[in-house]
Amino acid sequence: MNKLLRDKKAIIVFIAPAFLLFTFVLFVPICQSIYYSFCDYNALTPPEFVGLKNYRKMFKDDTMVYAMKNSIFFLIFSCISQLIMGLILAGLLTNIKKGRNFFKNVIYLPCVMSSAALGLLWMFIFSPKLGINQILAKFGIEGPLWLMDIKGFIILPMWVIAYVALWQYVGQSMMLYMAQISGIDKSLYEASYIDGCTKPQAFRFITLPLLKPMIGTAMSLNAIGSLKFFDLIYNMTEGGPNHHTEVLATHLYTQGFKYFKYGYASAIGVVLLVMCLIMTGIINRIFKTDDEAM
Amino acid sequence: MKKNKAKVTPGMVIIYVFLCVMAVIYLAPLIWVFLVSFKTNVEIFNNPFGTPEVIQLGNYIVAWTAGKLGSATLNSAIVCGITLVLTMVIGSMAAFAIGRLRWKLANAALVYFLLGMMIPVHCVLIPLFTRFAKMNLSNSLVGIIIPYLTFSLPVTIYIMVGFFKSVPDELLESACIDGCSIYQMFRKICLPLSRTGLFVTGLMTFVANWNELLLAMVFISDDNKKTLPVSLSKFVGPYNTNYSQMFAAIVIAILPTIIVYCAFSNQIVDGLTAGAVKG
Repeated sequence: MNKLLRDKKAIIVFIAPAFLLFTFVLFVPICQSIYYSFCDYNALTPPEFVGLKNYRKMFKDDTMVYAMKNSIFFLIFSCISQLIMGLILAGLLTNIKKGRNFFKNVIYLPCVMSSAALGLLWMFIFSPKLGINQILAKFGIEGPLWLMDIKGFIILPMWVIAYVALWQYVGQSMMLYMAQISGIDKSLYEASYIDGCTKPQAFRFITLPLLKPMIGTAMSLNAIGSLKFFDLIYNMTEGGPNHHTEVLATHLYTQGFKYFKYGYASAIGVVLLVMCLIMTGIINRIFKTDDEAM
Repeated sequence: MKKNKAKVTPGMVIIYVFLCVMAVIYLAPLIWVFLVSFKTNVEIFNNPFGTPEVIQLGNYIVAWTAGKLGSATLNSAIVCGITLVLTMVIGSMAAFAIGRLRWKLANAALVYFLLGMMIPVHCVLIPLFTRFAKMNLSNSLVGIIIPYLTFSLPVTIYIMVGFFKSVPDELLESACIDGCSIYQMFRKICLPLSRTGLFVTGLMTFVANWNELLLAMVFISDDNKKTLPVSLSKFVGPYNTNYSQMFAAIVIAILPTIIVYCAFSNQIVDGLTAGAVKG
């Protein structure tokens, strides 16, 4: 049996297709992308090495500044809001008996739907004359221009989009937390109630510490997801008005595939990749130590 | 315990009120788009929240034909179907090699594949696009199946490794004594025993690829080859003024995933948690 499982030929046959695909469709292009980011490269001329020029250009590019600001806003907002809402929903849903499945499925449902379609749907809901403003009009209130207002440091459209993102994806965090909570030994709670612990206290001192590793997993999924964020913004505002709602992913798309500045777009891609890796690293560092201590 | 059940505490009432508000927040937009998609344009502005006076099926017909959503749905089905089958085959083969076969680099290989989960698609768009353009793969369905397949592999491999590792050793040993080859072991013992895993990963890849927008938008410019999210984004936009048709298009795009979710919600949830809990 051992000999059979060590069969070199079989190992190669089994692993080769996946390995080749991965190498040629993922890792070679990433290396190329990093190389292109140091090049002056557009659709017509071949890449020409120019060093850090693309990266220096980023600091002078107003749109890049908006995109960076908005991406970081999204990152922070989605990590915090998903953590809080996800925990609240998971905590409540594991404590009720009737209708748990109904609420769970309703809240998770948007996660499986196309964010392109949902983006368009919300674009209409927040458009000047439809949806929310129609409701407000019934009460005689003139609603704001939800997706076009550009006042303030974090402009109104960004809050709207962040809300929609929370609406769509909070189900995922909730589901992960619920799975972890239902795996916690019930006798722990019983013991704590005998000691005179209230339900909120039990949540604070038993559930939360045991959830920590899962919070880490969910948060790194959120962080990467929010950096990749494209569909919703593309369909809700297309980065407008005047590039104020641009994020890194949409900026990369416009630069790369509308203006064909491949070199510059690659540099944005590298920034995105580095941010993803850093965030995963930070989150793992924070939650890993607790994991080992348990 | 009995007492607890019968008693309605104020806390419970608050919880249920809160959850009902949440349910309304979640369902209201979906119900609204569904109702509006059957109305005429005038009705949308005059009577936005009531039920439609006459059900306008014409909206759907226009979206399906003039909006090219019909051919887009077909394209999406082809792309997702092929990707699904290939991911299952290639992914479970690699997972078998990592989880069951004995070689030194098995763990390193797993890490290599898992790195793929952290990498955003955006980083490889440009090199892939230029490469595929040279190979005449851009603007063809094959050109998006290959990246979809690659990006679906990490999750599949990750979940399937767990399933293959839980196949009992005794079974494999007895099969080995009966003269079973390694390929038969994979096909006739490990795969059938991990059917749930395959099903769950299959559903997840299907949903993820069905909804993918960016890659499909970049790689395909021919209207007849566009997938559903791309055609939808093109049909619904600032240049179209017929709202009810656009709403019908949105409904067409979200309905398949709603049906899939209603049919398999438990398995999808299992897959989601299986993918993360073990990590």
